[in-house]
Amino acid sequence: MSVTSATGTMRIVRPRRVVRRDEAKWTWLLIGVIAAILLVWEAAVSWLHLVPEAFLPPPTAVAASFAQLMVDPEFWSAFAYSLGNVAIGLVLAVVVGVVVGLAVGWSPVLRFTVAPFLWLLYSTPKVALAPLFILGLGLGSESKIALVFLLAVFPIILNTMEGAVTVSPSLVNAGRVYGVNGLALGWKVIFPATLPYSLSGIQRGAALAFTGEVLGEFLGGTGGLGHLLEYAAYQFEMAEAIAMVIVMVIIANLTLLLISTLRRRLAPWYDDRKIAGAS
Amino acid sequence: MTTTTGQRGEPEASPPAPLISVRDLSVTYDVARTGKRLIAIEGVDLDVHEGEFVTVLGPSGCGKTTFMNVVAGLVKPSTGTVLVDGSPVTGPGPDRAVVFQDYALLPWRTVFDNVKFGLEMQKGLKGEGWRDRVQEAIEMVGLAGFESSYPRELSGGMQQRVGLARAFVAEPRILLMDEPLGAVDALTREVMRDEIDKLIQKTGKTVLFITHSIEEAILLGDRIVVFKSHPGAIKEVIETGLERPRSERSVQHDPRFLELRDHLWEALQGEATAAAVSK
Repeated sequence: MSVTSATGTMRIVRPRRVVRRDEAKWTWLLIGVIAAILLVWEAAVSWLHLVPEAFLPPPTAVAASFAQLMVDPEFWSAFAYSLGNVAIGLVLAVVVGVVVGLAVGWSPVLRFTVAPFLWLLYSTPKVALAPLFILGLGLGSESKIALVFLLAVFPIILNTMEGAVTVSPSLVNAGRVYGVNGLALGWKVIFPATLPYSLSGIQRGAALAFTGEVLGEFLGGTGGLGHLLEYAAYQFEMAEAIAMVIVMVIIANLTLLLISTLRRRLAPWYDDRKIAGAS
Repeated sequence: MTTTTGQRGEPEASPPAPLISVRDLSVTYDVARTGKRLIAIEGVDLDVHEGEFVTVLGPSGCGKTTFMNVVAGLVKPSTGTVLVDGSPVTGPGPDRAVVFQDYALLPWRTVFDNVKFGLEMQKGLKGEGWRDRVQEAIEMVGLAGFESSYPRELSGGMQQRVGLARAFVAEPRILLMDEPLGAVDALTREVMRDEIDKLIQKTGKTVLFITHSIEEAILLGDRIVVFKSHPGAIKEVIETGLERPRSERSVQHDPRFLELRDHLWEALQGEATAAAVSK
């Protein structure tokens, strides 16, 4: 079969990429708002003495505590402990969440039998179960990892499930027409089509994962950032406590940034601003 | 090319076994919501011979897509039989490729990898030749230079070219096209219609082409199968008997073309009115 182009006359123009503009402007506005809030805060505490410093230390004091934390080896060992638990729990949650989500989303039988229980568990206040985990698994890392897993896994399962349900039937038909069946269909069509949904579930799960870790450390533990924070608060070291919270906010946001970068790399066809139609 | 045109006119001369043979085909669905049985198509008989281009014309909702899906092996017949080359259809097979109305391209794959999809499961990717075959198919539909583009970067017409290349690369005997130009803008639609015509004449494939455009049905088909709705069934089968190569310009004053167009327009008009009344 020797075939030459049947489209000699067609001129095809490559569409231009959409460029995001105006984003820098909003960044500057955000920085301005934050600076204004800090200034008002500093003024209210240090200059006008509207609030006692013991309850609400001024931003300068918080910044000083923050700087001290950064050179404190005790802080870094707590940091490593907490982040290690979050990483283990989150990796387990991603693996279990994606596999269970795909299976339940794809199989109608599982969807009608298992999904209701998943929704039930999702709506259970899992924080209330935390003391049981401490009792059952002890004060060490195991109870924290279990809490991280429990909090992170449901958004991942449910998002993946929703993604698997909404995979376009014509993509599945295309797979079948070209001989893709069974597990290959799952791997070549269902999984990649669901990936953007899974990643947005993982993003939500990661945010909750850190909550799980800190909660576990609050309720009973011997190490970690949550433990350190609780200790600082009991000592009435408010500047240090607030500095710890800021550390946590930074960690959480870096995690979210990492995952959204990952999403852009792994699923470049998926438009962030378009939630529903990932076709 | 003129010799094939001659042969296409009189398939009755020495009747060989038809490539596609449909006998008393019915498809019914259970509608869960109302508990009723919906008859999609009923009592369809049709023979398609090797190398024939058959267009299937009908109003929307007349079951013509269901009919094509049965031949593709995507939908099981409720009663009746579909034979392809003498053996009953039990599922999709490498002898039939489908071009979908909504393109059904994998958004995470480049043009090259989407076309490769037509090849990778059926015949495997063993040996050396497959890259050349994929490239050849891409050039055939006029997409050379766009191998590493993603579907989202292409216009609708270009995406459907990818769909065509994916179907051609598998080298099926039968091409099933489900309103392939239905979602393409009017100008591109005409250009691509003529290109599909040329490609089919060149490769000699057997084609079942679903459309609701009268002009498309006449300009492309050796025979036109007209569907009626409620329930979906064949209303009539017409030989077009127009010389190839055809183009809108060459046939628009041809009395046979005008006669066909008027006839089909009246047939469809009746159907559309009947559909509106029954709702």
